[in-house]
Amino acid sequence: MKNHSVKLLLNGKEREAACESRTTLLDFIRHDLGATGTHAGCEHGVCGACTVEVNGQIVRSCLMFACQADGSNVNTVEGLANAGILSDLQQSFKRHHALQCGFCTPGFLMAAKDLLEKNSNPTEQEVREGLSGNICRCTGYVGIVEAVLDVASLRLGKLGGEHA
Amino acid sequence: MKSAPFKMHSPITEDEVLVLLKKYGEDARIIAGGQTLVPVLAMRVASPDHLIDINQIASLKRFEVNKNQLGVYAGVRQSELEQWHGLGEAQPLLKMMFPWIAHTPIRNRGTVCGSIAHADPSAELVLALTVLEGSVTLVSAKRKRNVDASHFFIGALQTDRQPDELIQSVQFPLKNPDAGFGFAEFGYRHGDFAVVAVAVIKDKDKWTIGFGGIDDVAKVYKTTAKSIEEVVRFIDGVATDSEVREDPTATSGLRRHLMRTLGKQACVDADQFKRPSSK
Repeated sequence: MKNHSVKLLLNGKEREAACESRTTLLDFIRHDLGATGTHAGCEHGVCGACTVEVNGQIVRSCLMFACQADGSNVNTVEGLANAGILSDLQQSFKRHHALQCGFCTPGFLMAAKDLLEKNSNPTEQEVREGLSGNICRCTGYVGIVEAVLDVASLRLGKLGGEHA
Repeated sequence: MKSAPFKMHSPITEDEVLVLLKKYGEDARIIAGGQTLVPVLAMRVASPDHLIDINQIASLKRFEVNKNQLGVYAGVRQSELEQWHGLGEAQPLLKMMFPWIAHTPIRNRGTVCGSIAHADPSAELVLALTVLEGSVTLVSAKRKRNVDASHFFIGALQTDRQPDELIQSVQFPLKNPDAGFGFAEFGYRHGDFAVVAVAVIKDKDKWTIGFGGIDDVAKVYKTTAKSIEEVVRFIDGVATDSEVREDPTATSGLRRHLMRTLGKQACVDADQFKRPSSK
């Protein structure tokens, strides 16, 4: 029974829908709000594909019920690009072939965005550890790590793009 | 991978929680971070009829430090405590352990008390509470009680909490300012469950050594030793004599080996420990 009315800000836009108690934030975003950029992978908190930002902090949207997110500010991968222009992080993923099938990419982008906000100049080891909660089954980690390091150097105005 | 239907309660005071727990008892589960509970529900290992969400309760969203202990209430997220600037000075062992607890998105949502409530024998916070000789404060509609960690954890995923009780807070006692701390862990992937974790507290020549992941509860051993060599010999004996778990992730032989190597590493770290100061 859809007895919860959940209202939240999704990528800056106010959205509202009814859902059951047991509906996860992940399913709410995808099914009830139609924002399918966030992917449902393992649905038990292991793979990281469903990573979204809730009130400025990244969380697994499969490990939270939608009714607990009532009134929250939720940002998803759809919010990264601005007016159809990919963000620098997304462009770096493209340049470094940091995706093959693309299933894990929304989660990696959200986790990498958060990592770079906390640490603007990470080492390779820090990037690897920072992204260790996300699984890529095409095993594209090398490209992903290079993409994150590259965007960090570009942002710091160093000589970037040497791997491109 | 979807939970069975349940009714979600969202009380805003602790008293409301206690009334709900009294009414529903074993049919209800408290949800705070949900980082263990939601997968358990999704896999239908448990399907309670009622969930009591304590995230709206302001009185539980705090932690406080006095001269004896760090008290952490049930609404405090792991990342909140991890990012507290005074943690390294007040409770250095926790500061060392946090990076090893799962991953950022999990710590952003998971609570300290939730990890204690779950009582996984390989969980870092369970080891910390046990080795620091901390305690758990439980409240029900009838009474309030404080239970030592050594009595609270009674087995793997089993605690002394009664169905009508809420874990209100946990207390991590502060140690002597001169005490040294060490922590070492082995897992198969950064953030995974510990195969073996070791926490060491050194207070002059008194050593307290706690192991997680080797048995159904965290195990603590104490000795007096004047040198690293002496304490390493003690750990060698403990690793030989203890009952050590064997499961598909590691043989007991590997775990004993890790007890020795990680144990030595944590003892060396505790011996050379310098407490950070915010002054």
